[in-house]
Amino acid sequence: MNVEVAWVTRRFGRNQAVTGVDLETGTGVFGLLGPNGAGKTTLLRMMATVIAPSSGTLRLLDRDPGSYGPRREIRRRLGYLPQNLGYYPGFTVAEFVEYFALLKEMPPGRIPGAVATAIERVDLGTKARAKLRTLSGGMLRRVGIAQAIVNEPGLLLLDEPTAGLDPEQRVAFRALLRELGQRATVVVSTHLVEDVGAACSEVALMDAGRIVFHGTPDELTARGEGQGAAGDAPLERGYSAVLAQARS
Amino acid sequence: MTAVAMSPRRLVRRSARLPWGAAVPFAAAGRLLRLEMRRNVMIWVLPLLGALFWFDAYRTAMSYPAVWDLRASVMPDKVVIDFATFVAGASAWMGSRETRCRAADLVTTTGRPGWARLSATLAATLAWVMAGYLACVAVLYGATAAQATWGTPPWWPVAVGAAALAAACAAGFAAGASFANRFVPWLTAVAVFGLEVAGFRSAVGVSDGYRLLSPSASVPGQDTGLFHPYLPDLAIAQVMFLTGLAVAALGALGLSRAAGAGIRLRCAAAAVAVAGLAAAGVATGLVGTARAGPDGVVIGVLHDAASDHPVPYTPVCADPTGVPVCIHPAFRPYLAEVTAALRPALSLLAGLPGAPVRVSEVATSLVASTNQQAEVAGRSPVYDFAMPPTPGSLVRTAGESFTQSLQIAFVTTVIGGSAPGPNGPETGDLAQQAVETVLLRQVAPELTNDTLGPPGSAAAVAAIGRFAALSPAARHAWLAGHLGALQAGRITLEELP
Repeated sequence: MNVEVAWVTRRFGRNQAVTGVDLETGTGVFGLLGPNGAGKTTLLRMMATVIAPSSGTLRLLDRDPGSYGPRREIRRRLGYLPQNLGYYPGFTVAEFVEYFALLKEMPPGRIPGAVATAIERVDLGTKARAKLRTLSGGMLRRVGIAQAIVNEPGLLLLDEPTAGLDPEQRVAFRALLRELGQRATVVVSTHLVEDVGAACSEVALMDAGRIVFHGTPDELTARGEGQGAAGDAPLERGYSAVLAQARS
Repeated sequence: MTAVAMSPRRLVRRSARLPWGAAVPFAAAGRLLRLEMRRNVMIWVLPLLGALFWFDAYRTAMSYPAVWDLRASVMPDKVVIDFATFVAGASAWMGSRETRCRAADLVTTTGRPGWARLSATLAATLAWVMAGYLACVAVLYGATAAQATWGTPPWWPVAVGAAALAAACAAGFAAGASFANRFVPWLTAVAVFGLEVAGFRSAVGVSDGYRLLSPSASVPGQDTGLFHPYLPDLAIAQVMFLTGLAVAALGALGLSRAAGAGIRLRCAAAAVAVAGLAAAGVATGLVGTARAGPDGVVIGVLHDAASDHPVPYTPVCADPTGVPVCIHPAFRPYLAEVTAALRPALSLLAGLPGAPVRVSEVATSLVASTNQQAEVAGRSPVYDFAMPPTPGSLVRTAGESFTQSLQIAFVTTVIGGSAPGPNGPETGDLAQQAVETVLLRQVAPELTNDTLGPPGSAAAVAAIGRFAALSPAARHAWLAGHLGALQAGRITLEELP
């Protein structure tokens, strides 16, 4: 298992953002669904080793991120796209991706090829020399994805990756997710259930800091059948049904 | 998104366990440094620094005679004062980049430790600062090399300036990285400016030893390094102090990123910070033992006794009136002006018993009279003088020109007293002053009473009038018989013809 989360809790002062989460997942695309404030981003930031759990244990890529050496090893094999991508406006697309390849301690000889590949994969080849300050929001999102995948990560964590992408790009991105999921663990946090339905092999639904559902997209869809839950699509109805059940 | 550029199988093989940590660290660091240099805000600050250098430091240096040590003094003095504020501010801007751009989360999740990551940014920033600074040194030294007639470029003043800018850069960067606030770069620039002003004021206005730690304290005299070697004692202490501050700032940067770092990194950061503080502390202690020597600041522990020996040189001479006028070869371009200035006075006093048979430039420190920077010594009297501020020099403080300074010093020294200055008589008796006044008016008619000072009492005015009324031949004849007595102070105003 690339991700093993056992009874993890995270508090910010008196606010408990994540409460007793248990999760295990291996290779494949894992969708993390939930309403705003459910704790998805906090859980993802713990998996990204940005913050440590307040309690519970976390193992990533068979290593304990609580210790410095293993954490550094994890980070070398980690790809992370935060919800709000911070970027350096003066960098070009290629420089920004190269910068993160260097920070991820990739072998220098492999960096030019890896950077070019990552940029091509997000369809920004023609913008490789453009300064980040000149790009649209959707393009910036793709730059963020490129920096996340440049090191061919064993664990890829994407927080709202399709926000700002147009439908065509979203479709292409789902294809990319499926492809990445063949050899790595991809955790996608989103509130767009169609992303999950199209790309994820496994899904967890969070609400109020807890995981209230863990299964396949088909199982989530099944939870909504015959319940009269709100939603235009089967998966949305499953989502609504699980949430309603959890809150009742 | 387009099709994948390489096969998935190949990607899978690549993403197997990656022993990347050991892979060619220097090559990666070099690439990172190059990237940081390409996108560094300091590039945009360099034109400003260049303009500041041109309008302040370069013009000041070019107003000095082409004496290497004198001109080099603008590097720690003017250049540091001009550059440090902008260097610190821009450096703080770079240091705060991760916070300003809200990229802290993203960069935190990478394998490279925060200290190493920020050190690369700092190194790139510092590299641009040093590149700009060394370009200024090259311009200044290139111009001086084309003009200088003696000596070699000194490097200690350059090192002091470099260390000061490195300290400003590192401190600014550490402040920017440590305090997550967009105003930090501006506040840092203001703080460094305040420190500069305080340092400069203490350097020029206070006499305690610790003022010497300020780079702006090291403005040397005009003939520094000519007659005795440049004393590097103070420069060594300053470099130690400023480098210590820079290293301590680097250590502080590491400690600020110590949370979550490995024990070895934390220890290394602490060791670096302690080493920097220790170096700065030792330098402070050393400067506390400094004493003013005749040729510069002497710090016992750092002093090389070999520096106390005079520097051999062959003077350059001219013989305008049968009296050789010799100056240091570094001042060769001024030989014609010196001889032209002294020619009337030498002619006036030629042949008088006790008048100089040779004029020789000596070190300022060797001249006994600090007021006139000249003396007449020896059985065959030699007029020893220190070179006054040269034409165009911004270090001039008196109202006289270069020529007038030479003439006044010569006449007043030979007669044995001192020309009355703006504040009235200073040394020498009234008869000497009266004779000096008359002779100076003859040698340099353009000298005004503002320069010569008021004649004083009615008796002095009368004596000046009487002596001035004599023909030049009569004055020369009287001086031939009475110069010794006049120099010895045995002539009164009433005895003047």
